[in-house]
Amino acid sequence: MLNRTTLVSSSSVSLLPNSKPFFSVKAFSGFRSSSFSGGFIRRIDHKPLRVMTPNLTPRAMAAQQLENADQLIDSVETFIFDCDGVIWKGDKLIEGVPETLDMLRAKGKRLVFVTNNSTKSRKQYGKKFETLGLNVNEEEIFASSFAAAAYLQSINFPKDKKVYVIGEEGILKELDLAGFQYLGGPDDGKKQIELKPGFLMEHDNDVGAVVVGFDRYFNYYKIQYGTLCIRENPGCLFIATNRDAVTHLTDAQEWAGGGSMVGALVGSCQREPLVVGKPSTFMMDYLADKFGIEKSQICMVGDRLDTDILFGQNGGCKTLLVLSGVTSISMLESPENKIQPDFYTSKISDFLSLKAANV
Amino acid sequence: MAPKLLSSTNFKSLFNSVDTFLFDCDGVIWKGDTLIDGVSHTLDLLRSKASSLSHSGKNIVFVTNNSMKSRRQYAEKFRSLGLTSVTQDEIFSSSFAAAMYLKANNFPKDKKVYVIGGEGILEELHLAGFTGLGGPEDGEKKAQWKSNSLFQHDKTVGAVVVGLDPNINYYKLQYGTLCVRENPGCLFIATNRDAVGHMTDLQEWPGAGCMVAAMCGSTEREPIVVGKPATFMMDFLIQKFGTETSRMCMVGDRLDTDVLFGQNAGCKTLLVLSGCTSESNLLDENNKIEPDYYTSMVSDITKLMDSP
Repeated sequence: MLNRTTLVSSSSVSLLPNSKPFFSVKAFSGFRSSSFSGGFIRRIDHKPLRVMTPNLTPRAMAAQQLENADQLIDSVETFIFDCDGVIWKGDKLIEGVPETLDMLRAKGKRLVFVTNNSTKSRKQYGKKFETLGLNVNEEEIFASSFAAAAYLQSINFPKDKKVYVIGEEGILKELDLAGFQYLGGPDDGKKQIELKPGFLMEHDNDVGAVVVGFDRYFNYYKIQYGTLCIRENPGCLFIATNRDAVTHLTDAQEWAGGGSMVGALVGSCQREPLVVGKPSTFMMDYLADKFGIEKSQICMVGDRLDTDILFGQNGGCKTLLVLSGVTSISMLESPENKIQPDFYTSKISDFLSLKAANV
Repeated sequence: MAPKLLSSTNFKSLFNSVDTFLFDCDGVIWKGDTLIDGVSHTLDLLRSKASSLSHSGKNIVFVTNNSMKSRRQYAEKFRSLGLTSVTQDEIFSSSFAAAMYLKANNFPKDKKVYVIGGEGILEELHLAGFTGLGGPEDGEKKAQWKSNSLFQHDKTVGAVVVGLDPNINYYKLQYGTLCVRENPGCLFIATNRDAVGHMTDLQEWPGAGCMVAAMCGSTEREPIVVGKPATFMMDFLIQKFGTETSRMCMVGDRLDTDVLFGQNAGCKTLLVLSGCTSESNLLDENNKIEPDYYTSMVSDITKLMDSP
């Protein structure tokens, strides 16, 4: 019954990062070996290659620990960074981030920040970056709150229709900027209902889309309002900013994420939403189009396998997992994990230290 | 086989082949707090040992997925609506089912149960000897998210039970999520997964399926379901009456819970159109669940029993 991911568009997953020689492995099912090009070779010390018994299901190519940062950096034009667990944790900047971003910019790389967190607008995120001493422009930030508004624009959602929001301020601000009328949001968190005979909840028949995201002011009133719109307004869209199960609201622990609120609406409407945030490729397609970038020229850097890395893979980009957020090395290497990034490293400032080691 | 419209020609054979009628409540007996017309008389007639069709009377039980009340509280509701002959032993609510599930599986008494749902679940847990936390009072609580403060949860919680909760809020979702994700072996139990229900007489409202799906979204786990269409409650019914399920008829208004429950257990099934399912829903080509019979409302039984 649970269907967590909906792709807006899908691209084929490229197993080979690009045509340049790489410190990587060719994908043969069940085999794990050191680098080679195009064939099966014996290592110089004449010891046989480590070969695992092939199994019937193709194994994802195992992630390589990042050793030659320069090679990765030189092979792409754009870096897309997730924020929570990559740039910051809660309100604390992760060590070495400012210098790393500066180095990449000095090398002429384009930097983009893509976050599933819909509580703030791009402008508000711009302020957060500024407060943390980072040199980032609002135009480089793509939050799922922005994605929802951008999606509605892309389908020419009529300006005379309204949007009901189950979510926080960030979504409201972005809808406003895009010129859409909205209802709901945090204020509806104060509304109570009394289930008694003769009581009827009315809803606006002009609502043409319900946008659901992370909502700390979630309540039964909003669930019912959204449910009535989706079930009764003909053609009403059901859009989810993201479906993350848990999120790091504070750096100390996990908190129930947008996947919970979206799940609630799926439960009452028995409909799957259109997801605009990671791992859906909507935001990838949007910025590739906006900046005129080739997806193979992008490296996605994130801390979460089922959103960040899957987003990068679905988009046909290179992927780098950092262990400074929610994913540990044991989670990456667990037999239950099916998502393998191209590379992994402990944190993004490794770009500086690994680079220095190779000079 | 296509569902048959209940009529004077087929009613007798249904009546004679069944000893026990199982009734759903919302949409069948009442809508919100309003009794559906003619129900009282029909139930009396079915029980009656002096009807023209039967001299032994039929057994009647009520099987409801609504976990807001305990069996005792439901008996009170029946009484307040004038159905004074209904006793709590005849009522099988999903709140009762949740407590019985824990009992049947030897849930340790030193573990606690966190409840996202109504008073009914807490009462049934207490009656079964378990310690419940949460429930309605957590509807007042707000989570705090500051850098130095942790959202605490009781590490001895061994099960989270989720049911219909009109007082759902972020605090409860977070509490339940932490228990399921972090307490080793913590069970995730759903009283039921009904998407919507007639919580008031005028319209449908989100059901337990909503709260359960919210928890599935944050825990990335599927729950154990104790209510319809799962047949867990049927074990109690079989024990109570000592009859085969083929001699029972499930009467309900919902295809994916009531009718499926009846079918899964091997009972006859009668759909009434007085609740959330319309005739067009039933006859829609996309509908795969077909009851044996259907009729507009429970009181049709009276007309059919009285007809020559």
